[in-house]
Amino acid sequence: MSRQWENLQSRSFLESRARKRALGLVDPGSFTELAGPRDRLTSPHLPVLGEAVEFDDGIVTGVGLISKRPIFLASQEGFFIGGAVGEVHGAKLANIIRLARESFDRMLDADPHLPEDKRPAVVISFDTGGVRLHEANAGLLAHAEVMDQFQDCKGKVPIIALIGGRVGCFGGMGFVAAAADAIIMSQFGRLGLTGPEVIEEELGKEEFDASDRALVYRTTGGRHKYIMGDCNALVDDSIAAFRTALKEILSKTYNEIAAMGCIGSLSKVETQLKWVDLCAKLSPKDAKDVWRYAGNEAPDDLVDMPLDLYLKSVKRLTDRCKENQDG
Amino acid sequence: MDNLIGQGRAAIDLIIDPETFQEGEVGALRITDEDFGASAVIGTAGLNGESCTVIASDAMTSNPKFPVVYAGIIGLEEGYKMALAVYHTLLVDADRPLAEKRPILLIVDTPGNGAGKQEEIFGMNKATGAYQMALAEARKAGHPIVAMVVGRAISGGFLCHGLQADHVLSLSPQFETMIHVMPITSIARITKLDIEWLQALAKDNPVFAAGPDYFYKLGGVEEMVDSIESLRERIIAHVEAVRAAKIAGKWDALGPWGRGHLSAERGGRLVRGKVIETMNEEFAAVAERYLS
Repeated sequence: MSRQWENLQSRSFLESRARKRALGLVDPGSFTELAGPRDRLTSPHLPVLGEAVEFDDGIVTGVGLISKRPIFLASQEGFFIGGAVGEVHGAKLANIIRLARESFDRMLDADPHLPEDKRPAVVISFDTGGVRLHEANAGLLAHAEVMDQFQDCKGKVPIIALIGGRVGCFGGMGFVAAAADAIIMSQFGRLGLTGPEVIEEELGKEEFDASDRALVYRTTGGRHKYIMGDCNALVDDSIAAFRTALKEILSKTYNEIAAMGCIGSLSKVETQLKWVDLCAKLSPKDAKDVWRYAGNEAPDDLVDMPLDLYLKSVKRLTDRCKENQDG
Repeated sequence: MDNLIGQGRAAIDLIIDPETFQEGEVGALRITDEDFGASAVIGTAGLNGESCTVIASDAMTSNPKFPVVYAGIIGLEEGYKMALAVYHTLLVDADRPLAEKRPILLIVDTPGNGAGKQEEIFGMNKATGAYQMALAEARKAGHPIVAMVVGRAISGGFLCHGLQADHVLSLSPQFETMIHVMPITSIARITKLDIEWLQALAKDNPVFAAGPDYFYKLGGVEEMVDSIESLRERIIAHVEAVRAAKIAGKWDALGPWGRGHLSAERGGRLVRGKVIETMNEEFAAVAERYLS
């Protein structure tokens, strides 16, 4: 087990399947899958449409440990119908969060002074386009249940989002991730609401060409989201790098982690409204217009430079905001 | 009146106590800039004699700063404006007991969230997420939240403005109400499934077909309302029912989780409950290893 776990660490997060990510993110040998493939809780709706099912319905859910801390983990499988959320998938995601919060309540009931580093945390590896159209109505309702469970965790259980898979994190799951306390991305991760094809459909190909991969990445990719302050950490594409960043965030107090999120309170909404004013003022034709505004004089260079160099030289919009406040 | 599509403001007047709407005002919040989040209407009205926060979309007014925001679309500004209304509702009643938390009425007629390049650059997902988190917080703080679908409740727009309510009501389909993720023609195109076959299947299968009746079967809508005249009375009845449930501590019977239970009762989402039960049992068997 331990050797297998060691081997997982150097693996590309992008190329790994959901279960490998789950196993590698928590401590060696600590992961117990809940409602796993042996339970064969498959979608009842896909066979009606003549589609193949998976025994885990495209999501791995379970519990593991990171440095003795209970981690309630969900890992979406982008290779199965684009990680899309149907009835079973959605119920697994909502309920793993609920289990974390119920465990928190039980543990704190038993010991109100339980140290923070022993308390439950939720970790979600997103790899999804949102609602699964084959069971669209059930998938939509499941999204609302996940947001509801997120809110129940407020003040109790930190929720950390990881985004570095092939599909990225779009549709309804885009706002679910935004509601997490902290977001870790790789440069291959993408985060948004409306997928590139739909934007092209809405605005026309001259405004937004969905086949232009560079354009797609600088609009929703990890390097852009890092500049915007919409992801808290930008890491290398390996399971180990995600795990290291995760451990670093989990070493903070709940209040410190909750402060990292972009939304979830009146003052955060007021801060976001300043960015919306900036958006109206800049009317950016391209994400690079915002990079330049944030103080990056040669935005083109940021696209391809090695990640460590990027992290050293990039100016973030959030930093500029701080400078303005200080000055 | 044949239907209320695109008439969010008219719907407000039909529902609230006559001439009580103070637009742009919720608690200490005063929105005076007419262009700010112009496609969203927020304010305070009387409802059966008590103060009520009202949030609706205005399909007739587009947002001059964001070209993709028209016809009742919820854009960046609209999402945050709606969230502001909810947070100020929380503040103004912060010291009141459960029985006196004011209701929040969501009048739902929106084709969706702003889909544009600028919206993605700045993060439309945050704006719609912020509003949902605010609603969930207000619901759990005790405000009775009732969503009334009077027109379009489409996909992410419905998640944003509707599905975080305690109870969701919908005018019945004869008023041309639309609830769906995508029309069946688009589902056929994207899934590459045959449209006629899908339409035939949709007759008995509520899980992908478009329409309020299907959402009712799946527990996504608590009650169908079959006349415009009875909107006000039904909303007031649901505010009271929700408030009573909260005072009785029946929190799990409300909101998205409550609609999960409702779905099972109506024979809609039948596997959901089994999944939850299985996970709970399997976790109980190993919990000691993780929680000690």
